[in-house]
Amino acid sequence: MNFDKLCPSNHKTVFVLDHSPYFGISCECQLEFDFSKSRGPGFIPLAPISKSLWTCSVEAAVEYCRIVWDIFPQGKLVRVHLLKVRLSIRISGFFMLIVYFPLQIRFVVNDLSPQVLNTWSPQQQSLPYLLNTLSSVGVPNTRQSSRDYSMMYGLKSAIEALCECSEIQHERRTSLTENASKVLNRCRVICITSTIDNSSIKSFEDYFQNILIQQNKIAAGSDHLITVHHCHLVILNVYPNNTESQVRGHPPKDMSAILTTEVHSVKAGGQIASKLSHLILSHYDLASTTVTGIPMKEEQNASSSANYDVEIFHPSAAHSSILKGNAADTLQIKTVRENTDYETVTLKWCTPRSCSASELQNCTAVHRITPVDVNSRPSSCLINFLLNGRSVMLEMARKSGGKMTSHLLAAHGGEIFIHALSTSRSVLEEPPSISEGCGGRVTDYRIPDFGLLMQNNKLAPMKRKYDDESENPIARMRSRLERQTKYWPMTISGTLIFNLKMYMDPLLSLLVKEELSDDEVIQCKKVIYDLIELEVKHEPLQTPNMGQRGKGPKRYYFFISIITINLVCRYHVSFNRNTLLHFFKINGHKHDHYCPLECVLSCQVVNYDKMDISTKLSDGDITGCITSVAVDLQPDQVHYDRRTESITIFAAINQFYEVLMFGHGSQKKQLNESINILMPVGTINNTVKRKTMVIFEGKILEKSLRR
Amino acid sequence: MPIVIVVDVSLSMRRPVTGEVFQRQHLAIHGVNTILDYLAVHSKLEFVALVAFSSLYEIVSPFTRDFDLIKSKLQQIEDFDKTCVETALHGVNTLVLEEWGSLTPCQVILVTDGTPGVGSLSLKNSLSTLSQRDPSNPFPVPFSFPAKLSVMCIAAQDDPALQVGLPLYQKLVDLSGGEGGVYLPEGPLSIKSVQTLFQKHAESNFASFYGTLKCGNLTSQIILSPVPQPYSKTNDFECVKRSISDTIEIFGFLDVSDVGSPMAYSRHLVLPIATAKGDSVTPGIKVDPDSDDESSVDDSRVPSFCVLLHGALKVENVVAVCLLAEDWYGIMYSWADSKKKSNLMLTIFEPGVNVVPWLGELDRLGPRVDFVAANNGDESIAPFPLKPTEKRSYSQNTVVWIRQAGLQADIQKILRHARKLPEKTQHFYKELNRVRRAALAFGFIELLDGLAAIFERECTLLPGGAHPDCALQLTHAASVLRKPYSRVNVVPWLGELDRLGPRVDFVAANNGDESIAPFPLKPTEKRSYSQNTVVWIRQAGLQADIQKILRHARKLPEKTQHFYKELNRVRRAALAFGFIELLDGLAAIFERECTLLPGGAHPDCALQLTHAASVLRKPYSRDVKYNITPLRTKFVNDD
Repeated sequence: MNFDKLCPSNHKTVFVLDHSPYFGISCECQLEFDFSKSRGPGFIPLAPISKSLWTCSVEAAVEYCRIVWDIFPQGKLVRVHLLKVRLSIRISGFFMLIVYFPLQIRFVVNDLSPQVLNTWSPQQQSLPYLLNTLSSVGVPNTRQSSRDYSMMYGLKSAIEALCECSEIQHERRTSLTENASKVLNRCRVICITSTIDNSSIKSFEDYFQNILIQQNKIAAGSDHLITVHHCHLVILNVYPNNTESQVRGHPPKDMSAILTTEVHSVKAGGQIASKLSHLILSHYDLASTTVTGIPMKEEQNASSSANYDVEIFHPSAAHSSILKGNAADTLQIKTVRENTDYETVTLKWCTPRSCSASELQNCTAVHRITPVDVNSRPSSCLINFLLNGRSVMLEMARKSGGKMTSHLLAAHGGEIFIHALSTSRSVLEEPPSISEGCGGRVTDYRIPDFGLLMQNNKLAPMKRKYDDESENPIARMRSRLERQTKYWPMTISGTLIFNLKMYMDPLLSLLVKEELSDDEVIQCKKVIYDLIELEVKHEPLQTPNMGQRGKGPKRYYFFISIITINLVCRYHVSFNRNTLLHFFKINGHKHDHYCPLECVLSCQVVNYDKMDISTKLSDGDITGCITSVAVDLQPDQVHYDRRTESITIFAAINQFYEVLMFGHGSQKKQLNESINILMPVGTINNTVKRKTMVIFEGKILEKSLRR
Repeated sequence: MPIVIVVDVSLSMRRPVTGEVFQRQHLAIHGVNTILDYLAVHSKLEFVALVAFSSLYEIVSPFTRDFDLIKSKLQQIEDFDKTCVETALHGVNTLVLEEWGSLTPCQVILVTDGTPGVGSLSLKNSLSTLSQRDPSNPFPVPFSFPAKLSVMCIAAQDDPALQVGLPLYQKLVDLSGGEGGVYLPEGPLSIKSVQTLFQKHAESNFASFYGTLKCGNLTSQIILSPVPQPYSKTNDFECVKRSISDTIEIFGFLDVSDVGSPMAYSRHLVLPIATAKGDSVTPGIKVDPDSDDESSVDDSRVPSFCVLLHGALKVENVVAVCLLAEDWYGIMYSWADSKKKSNLMLTIFEPGVNVVPWLGELDRLGPRVDFVAANNGDESIAPFPLKPTEKRSYSQNTVVWIRQAGLQADIQKILRHARKLPEKTQHFYKELNRVRRAALAFGFIELLDGLAAIFERECTLLPGGAHPDCALQLTHAASVLRKPYSRVNVVPWLGELDRLGPRVDFVAANNGDESIAPFPLKPTEKRSYSQNTVVWIRQAGLQADIQKILRHARKLPEKTQHFYKELNRVRRAALAFGFIELLDGLAAIFERECTLLPGGAHPDCALQLTHAASVLRKPYSRDVKYNITPLRTKFVNDD
């Protein structure tokens, strides 16, 4: 098992900053701060100032934190309901800043206590919090004697902190899975201090090792502490720029199985930060990319533009698609920038296309970035460009000549990401078109209607409710789609009622709702009453062109529609009894407030009594409508009666009703005889013309079904 | 996933099989043909390349979908000298990297007779020098791409050469990641046994993914091409090993612009296949089965949900979000190759709910109508992208003075505002305070003095026509910067003095509520004395805490809540101090207390005391996060 990945050493990092009086002295690196140049003769610029060693170390440590928290935020953790911390969240980069400083009690020489600036709690893992706490610490007082202070106390508290579990460690340790015992506490301590020579560094390391062993013993005997399995101690020995240090650094070496140490000796002015920003790359497996050729308007001369470079940090995995196994190109684009001692990959800014953000790019990896020089003008120009919603492609120059679009920089919700694009040939090329496969030749899919269904079922993020874990938004969406597709013919020729929208709306859209208001019930009823009125007037229902070749608009008769409505009602009501109950609940028992279903049924009974269907059937061309009805019906709702030579189409709405349809004549063999009539209320004898009969022949029916 | 077939054409392959007329080479070709035949039926979209090797290698056929072409080339391969597996694998590495890059997983099928070669070119020699390689020319395995290496040995199981060869080939497979294996034909070497071997291999490695695409009641049978691979990765504190389920369920839709360009674990074509008869077709009239011949039914004329979905996704420019397995998601959308042939594509994310930060947790995606309702019907609020709770450093005006330019920009900004006083008074002080706070955080007190000096000097340089307020404000700012109180918070309960402003603004910020007192400011954390801190350094402290618990115990069940509250408080403190003995002691006290209860004591008294005592002795009560809860009796209320 790969413990490096499973329990990374960068999970917990402790900074130990030296707050002894020595750190109050100047770093002797003069800093020009009076920038008002050329103010005429006699202008004397103010004397330059100098940062203290303390300021230099704080700046560097804060910068380190800034980079890590930008690239590996755990903001998600804060937001997440604590009882249900998701296991997939990437948590890394917990920091604790420990400042070793003396209590302001004079005369008591040994009363030195370390101050812990923040804890492992995610709430305290943020830059503003850290800066606020640092403000309260203040600068070391140089007037106190330096001899009485030792870093040892700070180190002890650092190791104590390492023995505290972070939230995820605690969760993993106490979880009942097999991996519970495998949580290794690997961590890192970065100590910024100042010593005289190599021997004091050595004793420093030895002391650290001893404390580590001691604390591990304590932690092993405790339930809530965790022993340190491995610690990486990084010591930065700093000294003012005008002096030389006796301390020689050494690369990482293993003191013991649990401790690896490395020492760097750096000048305070400028070098601490650059050393740390070099170390951070290996600590967090980051890489540097320099975006080159960014066109930017000159401040003085707005009409011309010059090209600038911006360097960013991101996880090194973002480079693997272009660098892995590609030594030639790697050499070409990897360079060491001036004033740094790490490599950066140079990628060229590609003048953005307007639509690139709204296209789906094929990304093999997506990682957060942060600019190395966050407040330089080129950086902030690039950042603002991206934060304003535009995105930019990056090009990689190839050894073989030519360029290749390899990355995309884009912001999502105020965070900037680098997207690694797929650069090689795709295994998906030249696929068969979807029109060549199953269902590809069908031309009358109800695409606009399905588009509407999609628009009605867009997703949005739901807040996690503390009290109601049972309500799963995805389950809600699934039942919603389930309900809305209960009866959903895929083609235009497969349905009648959805082609009669001008008569049916809003009934069709309302029926899929979970609950209907009084108003909506009235609207549904109005649709039905209007249809009945058309019936009374003997007006045929017009449908738009159904998309079938060359047949032109067809005419349908209302009664067929009514029957199909019943079917729709049946579909929806039967699976959603609540809706039905709701109808009755909100409507009481008043006769004229029945739900649409009841309304339709009652209308029908009345109308069939009076209706002379045979006349209407013989009136016009009903070819299409019969087909449609048949398609809308379940097979067991159609019956051919050999004895009476009539077809009965019935639909059991519920236990109370059976709806009858019309009959027909002489064609005997086509329909399935095995079905029994449940309760035929009645049949209507065939008086329909011979021409119309053709449609009932099985072949035609089947063909129209299976097309 | 593309397949590289690597065929050994060394002389040893020319050995005839004992008692037969054909050679091992013939069997190898037959085996490869078996695989190609299988692919032609089941995975037409797969790419296959053919490499022949001896001491050198030759790319007989680059990657192609034309399996017949490979077959014909296979017939023409000639035989050469001796086996050198390393060279062949180098060739494979180069071939795949050039064609597919380092991210596309590939299958490598090495067909050989199981002899590892001889001399410096042998596999034995290659493997024994693994650690002595020049970094510029490393051993090709593990490959630079995700690979599954299968070694097909055309050798009888009792072949003496295998004694040496098999362990070496097995080591090779292990080096490559251990996904594949070394395979031998069962029984004697014959056309049939080799064919069975390759057929089995093809079936277990190149079988299509058959599944169901579902959206509510609309379904379609589909295959995914290429076949989705199981996911296996180690993240911080977890090892993930997953496979997708065969039902892919769409649970909603998103605009393409909202989705951004998320990271894909893999991408697959979604191809509809003929639905089994009578299964989920549109309801229709049942007709006599013999009335028409079924074979004439054309699949392409039967409506398929995939085609409908694709059409609508394309027209509306949306993607369908689907659930692939528990906590594993993907998106489906219309995708067009450069050649105007559009298709339904599935992008599989990495498993987990937080894989696309700007969409939030994927298992919290719900109906947009609910979102609109939660915003009081305001449809103008865009649900995406989701913003992180904390801004990143680059979007919050972070102060960094590591490079001088950073400091310079900040100072110049203040001076720019200073020259436009009094119009820019607000901006001037806002920037000044920002810099001041940063200087305090960094302990950079020298800068405050420097700023004061700059302001004073600036006063002397003001042009004649300058507004009088200019000089006034600058002098004021300089003098305040030199005051000690601008460097610390001198009166904690008044807060930072430079943040004091008109009280009317404060009232306005509280929506006009004048009853809220602005002072004293409360610290963000309570002090120890105001939060019931436990201190047992002196015995009296411990005594008081225990007596408090016992007082409540005697008034059970009325004081049940108080009893347990105090008990938990003491218990937590004991755990913090590592004072485990106290817990046992408390348990003993409770048990003794039970025996001392007066006759008229409430029955619940004894019940709760016994319960508390027993829990205190349980190991789980030694966990700080655990809370002892009252025993549920008829006297205890839920509140």
